[in-house]
Amino acid sequence: MVSLRSDLATREHAVNRMVQRQQHRGPDDRGLHSDGPATLGMCRLAIIDPANGHQPMTSPDGRFTLVFNGAIYNYRALQTELALGGWNFRTNCDTEVLLAAYALHGAACLSRLRGMFAFAIWDAREQSLFAARDPLGIKPLYYARLPDSGIILASELNALLASGAVPREIDPTSAGEYLAWFSVPAPRTIYRGIANLPPGHQLTLDAAGRLKTGPWWQLPAPTRPDIATNYHDFIQGLRHQLDDSIRAHRVADVPVGAFLSGGMDSTAVVGLMTRSGATKLKTFSLIFGEAGFSEQASARLAAETFGTEHHEELLTGARVAADLPQLLASFDQPTGDGINTYYASQTARRGGVTVALSGLGGDELFGGYPSFRDLPRLQRLLPLWRRLPAGLRRNVVDQLRARPTVRARKLADFLAHARDLHELASLQRRVLPETVRLSLLAPEARAQAERLGPNHPMLEDFAFELIGADPFQVISAWELRTYMADVLLRDSDVFSMAHSLELRVPFVDRQLLEWLWPQRPWFKYDPRHPKRALADATADLVPAAIRNRRKQGFALPFAQWMLAELRPFLDETFSTTSLGACPWLQATEVQQVWTDYKTKRDPRAWSRVWTLAVLIAFANRRPAP
Amino acid sequence: MRIVLLSPELFLHEGGIARIMRLYLKALCEIAGPAGRVDSLVLNDHPGRDERLTRYTTAQFHEQVGCRRGKLRFIRETIRLGRRADVLVCGHLHQLAISQLARLFNPRLKYYLVAHGIEVWRPYSLIERRALLGAHRILCISEYTRRQMLRFFPALPPERLVVVPNTLDPYFAPALNDQVSKAPFATPHILTVSRLSSTDTYKGVDTLIEAMPLVRREFPLARLRVVGQGDDLPRLQALVQRLGVGFSVDFTGPLSDEALRAEYAICDLFALPSRKEGFGLVFLEAMTYGKACLGARAGGTPEVITDATGQLVEYGNIPDLAAAVADLVRHPRDSEVVRRHADTFAFPAFTRRLAAALA
Repeated sequence: MVSLRSDLATREHAVNRMVQRQQHRGPDDRGLHSDGPATLGMCRLAIIDPANGHQPMTSPDGRFTLVFNGAIYNYRALQTELALGGWNFRTNCDTEVLLAAYALHGAACLSRLRGMFAFAIWDAREQSLFAARDPLGIKPLYYARLPDSGIILASELNALLASGAVPREIDPTSAGEYLAWFSVPAPRTIYRGIANLPPGHQLTLDAAGRLKTGPWWQLPAPTRPDIATNYHDFIQGLRHQLDDSIRAHRVADVPVGAFLSGGMDSTAVVGLMTRSGATKLKTFSLIFGEAGFSEQASARLAAETFGTEHHEELLTGARVAADLPQLLASFDQPTGDGINTYYASQTARRGGVTVALSGLGGDELFGGYPSFRDLPRLQRLLPLWRRLPAGLRRNVVDQLRARPTVRARKLADFLAHARDLHELASLQRRVLPETVRLSLLAPEARAQAERLGPNHPMLEDFAFELIGADPFQVISAWELRTYMADVLLRDSDVFSMAHSLELRVPFVDRQLLEWLWPQRPWFKYDPRHPKRALADATADLVPAAIRNRRKQGFALPFAQWMLAELRPFLDETFSTTSLGACPWLQATEVQQVWTDYKTKRDPRAWSRVWTLAVLIAFANRRPAP
Repeated sequence: MRIVLLSPELFLHEGGIARIMRLYLKALCEIAGPAGRVDSLVLNDHPGRDERLTRYTTAQFHEQVGCRRGKLRFIRETIRLGRRADVLVCGHLHQLAISQLARLFNPRLKYYLVAHGIEVWRPYSLIERRALLGAHRILCISEYTRRQMLRFFPALPPERLVVVPNTLDPYFAPALNDQVSKAPFATPHILTVSRLSSTDTYKGVDTLIEAMPLVRREFPLARLRVVGQGDDLPRLQALVQRLGVGFSVDFTGPLSDEALRAEYAICDLFALPSRKEGFGLVFLEAMTYGKACLGARAGGTPEVITDATGQLVEYGNIPDLAAAVADLVRHPRDSEVVRRHADTFAFPAFTRRLAAALA
């Protein structure tokens, strides 16, 4: 917190409250440091050099003070290099390496870091603050300006609210965005006045209180001369990169395990971990009583193949219903996803590991989603569609919108609004068709949603970043920049840290991505065999039964639970009393969604109903004491 | 250098494109050189010389052809004038295919496109794509427009797209007796200048009106002056009535240059929170009067408004808009800094940039 007008005691009190509110993120140590108008606080989950590395960490000359969340995987190499440059290391901790790297190289150090991070550094000499976030958004960083031109930052929104310096006011525009995307896309957050520093961005606050934010990393150029020229070389190169990433992500001085769902991605990660020397590896998966959801057999096959100590946790609707108060309390923002991560993390932490690796990111990098197959087809049809007379097109769109199915209405959104692949990629990730979303919003929020339109708020930024990219890169980037960054990674951070577990994602690795990105698209993706490249690169590890299995996803039997164990919660959530806390929603329309779900029992509608329910329940949360 | 300039309009109506094309005419006359010649062909204007033409021409200016919306005549004249020209500057994408046609009759002819804004932020037809590929250079009024063109037509060689930011009309500069700054504010007195067309609701005039109740909560005497005309006016007037802010919003209708200058001079800040400005010439006009500007963080606007000259808000975010007005009132921008920023877009700099792009 940097506040030019508040006194030291007020500031330290506020930061102490923030640290307390996110104690679960770091139960091993905590600290506070004040200098001039700045107070930095930290609670630490000790992973590397647990005995040392106390934060906030100040440079020997007293100029720089650092608070850092995450892990720098190449810290040993950097340490050697920085020591040669004259830095006298006091610890073997990545925190000190980051401090030294910034002290010696300033913001330029960012490009040399391999890892996941969000950090802030106070420069006592310049009286300025620098903060940055990792390239793909694994670790979060939220901030709000203070009325005195100061700033307050934290890894969780709940911590910012706990400071008492930021009002807890849900932004109706953000609520509208949430209904479109399953989450509130950065740089917005669900709260008015609080921003989410986007992935790969840095922030500077100077002594005069001027704030500047901007990207320090962007996706690589679409092509490069030194790429693989044949598939064999490509697969060999990919395997080398995967091995390298796994080695880097295993760096820790505490036990490291892995999530193992039994799908291609997590099996590949576990296989690569064992190949890189992990012994007595602990793996964790969720299983369900309901038929068709468990990947128990695949996970067991993988565990047996790699000889891991495998832990299974039975998850039932009754347990989720009983845990809902804790679950909702751990939410930082509403999300339509993430409950699986909450339980998998709980299982892993109880199973004795402090760090777990996950296969998150495999679908985005290797074309695991149907969007990689469907969107290029739609893109080819767009010019033909746009050549039809405008009246006819309007008619078709109106007819599709009049149909009751969400599929028809989503198609109507594509036809009405998409002009190129970026807009197709943007629209395909929407949860609710535009007409349905607008009907659920109260007039003020609806007017704002209509002004902003149905496309993703960052459409132009992403489209400009991808000029010259091929269709596979465009779709991959959209998946990386939207669903992965705003939903999967955000949920993974919040729900793993809720159990003091550090979740690492070796597929979401800058080095791997920068190598893979310019490679030929037909090497990376085959529409007949999604994720063929990953399967071929790990063919000696992943059992054929798993490589050849169709993608199942890490899904929960929510459709059933919502009509059984979770029904009382949902009935209460959709009640008039509960909806009173959501003046930006059109209560009767929202209640109709729940009534329709109960009567029509369309199992595919569950995520839309749940998304709404979470938003309402979130708005009804009471602040933690 | 023998140059032909194609424009949709120069003097018929007072639109943004017409205003900037007049400055292209003036700059091209200077660039053509002592032995050069400039012809102007205008699709919509009436035949004959408008009295204002002399302001924008020099001795190098030769022929002014107005086609009174006659497309066939426009095509014929383009071919005729193009035959004896070295350079053809095309002021609108819709006329680019005709420029390409003219080159069939004069293979030495190099043609250029002026890419303004919304008219090029879209997918292109086959004919447009071919014409774009044949253009020697594309003169984009902002980096934003340049990127939009590359987005919708990635096959365009990026080096052919050059940014030539719009400029201020030297004849619009404040007169000596204009009151160019007035601080601190008494009320805030907010000015907006825009076409009020039902097809251009993205300009955000409605959002400014919607922000007025919030602005007035803090500044009860705040006023909003809306300059412009169009078929969206009844909707905006109804909005004013519905919000009960009739006594703090004035619709002036269209104004003469002189009256508009007076509006710029007496306002406290200028606002146009538009979602799709290619550049936002009106911001520059306001800045020459030292007025802080409020725009949306969208389109080419962020290339014109800096922290030192105003504030950017999210398009359509009413509370943010009201907060930004309050912030600009509480922390007025230094009018001298604002004026100096406008100077960086002055006509001589524009002419130099254009000459370099045509070289």
